[in-house]
Amino acid sequence: MLDLYFLLALVVTGFVVGQYLEKRHYQSIYKRERALVNLVTTSSKHPVGDIPPVTDRRLVQGSVVVSVDYFKRLLAALRNFFGGNVRAYETLVDRARREAILRLKESCPDASQIINLRIETSSISKGRKNQIGSVEVLAYATALYY
Amino acid sequence: MKYRAALPEHNDNVSHEHPLKEFFVLLAGAIGVIGVVYLMLGLFIDFAVDYVTPEMELRIFRTTDMIWEESGVQKDDERRQSLQALMGEVGTCLKIAYPITVRISESEQINAFAVPGGTVIVHTALLDALASKNGLAFVLAHELGHFQNRDHLRAMGRGIVLLAIFAALGGGGTDLSDMLVPVTDYETARFSQERESEADATALRALNCLYGHIGGATELFEVIAGSGNDVDFSFTHYFSSHPAARQRIAELHRLSEQLGFSLADTLPK
Amino acid sequence: MFVTNTEEIPGKKIVTCHGVVSGSTVRAKHVGRDIMAGLKNIVGGELKGYTELLIDAREQAFERLQEQARQLGANAVVNVRFSTSSVAAGASEIYIYGTAVTVE
Repeated sequence: MLDLYFLLALVVTGFVVGQYLEKRHYQSIYKRERALVNLVTTSSKHPVGDIPPVTDRRLVQGSVVVSVDYFKRLLAALRNFFGGNVRAYETLVDRARREAILRLKESCPDASQIINLRIETSSISKGRKNQIGSVEVLAYATALYY
Repeated sequence: MKYRAALPEHNDNVSHEHPLKEFFVLLAGAIGVIGVVYLMLGLFIDFAVDYVTPEMELRIFRTTDMIWEESGVQKDDERRQSLQALMGEVGTCLKIAYPITVRISESEQINAFAVPGGTVIVHTALLDALASKNGLAFVLAHELGHFQNRDHLRAMGRGIVLLAIFAALGGGGTDLSDMLVPVTDYETARFSQERESEADATALRALNCLYGHIGGATELFEVIAGSGNDVDFSFTHYFSSHPAARQRIAELHRLSEQLGFSLADTLPK
Repeated sequence: MFVTNTEEIPGKKIVTCHGVVSGSTVRAKHVGRDIMAGLKNIVGGELKGYTELLIDAREQAFERLQEQARQLGANAVVNVRFSTSSVAAGASEIYIYGTAVTVE
């Protein structure tokens, strides 16, 4: 019985605090995206439009590791039973990816353009068999200054 | 080519359904499916167990008899032999055709239990706690009732079924199986309590057959209820393997009224 | 909507660039597919159930990518890249990203 109470406590804490933290993170992401929207970004190899001679070019990157809360982990386990979209994890990867791209942009605020944006995702295992709960996203690109 | 900055209005990469709703729907579904599978397999087990005759079971479990020889259970003595004789009488009333061995174990716990393979172990504390022969006969008949109803086989079958379900869920130790363990604990306890009540009813009939009355049937339960060791009626009693002693006394009174049994004086040990 | 993994769309001219767009899904298998895959593991060969699962997931991610490009006012996506990774026990994420552009 004690196990059940403990489990319930973890789930409730995970849900309440996790939802709050996620909302806060998303608000921060929206704010920063709006501020950085004018920085030209593309995943193509060539810069956008005709540009003056480039004075500097640098490899820039941004990375983040984000984890899910206990409630979402349970939800994913249940979803594994029935199949379908794991909605709990969709916010996880979305947040991680947008955060990584924002960190990339923030690492070179004076850049004129960012080209050849590439994104790598990998999962980080918790240690217990099959219990993967966090995801690492690395975004890297070339920043051009002119 | 020029650049026009914009941000998408709504985020399509996530869904906006509330996670709690999804959680409860999925949980209900999972419990429902597991419940159905468990019920069906339980029915199958009950059906299959009836095909295992006591003789077959004896042969399968004969090897465990040797373990008891070495486990410190008391040797053969006069007390054990008189207990064995009583067991024989009870067995005749219950029409049990195969040999059941009774052994005495030195212990401070008031307990007696049936072991697969035709052995009943009685603790010395139980022998000391009971004052009448009838009470002792009831206890022995209760254990024989377990044999007759093939209760340990049923419990074993259910245990295997549960293991299989958990293995299918992805191996024990994942969060999902941890969460569902209390559900199965409750179901196992409920099943166990049902079988205990069945064995009580069988014992009541055996006692009436042996002595013509059911005096002394509730003696052991009254001792337990009075000792303060009874399972109390808080939440935990749903999960214990035996019904509370007070409940068993009430149930036996109800059953004896229904069957028209009478009380009379009991015999000394 | 044109979607291509080349830099430019042959025969069309890129007029406006709208930035990077992406589409992603996280999809889990269910117990039925798991059991079939377990059996298939004995003899080897293609796990058709999982292949279909990931094809469906990729289609959905594709639609989300196009939807996001449409919201920005684009009519094509160039330089598209795919990535698959596992993010949870039994679930994998399909992620598609590219540059949204307007062509004419």
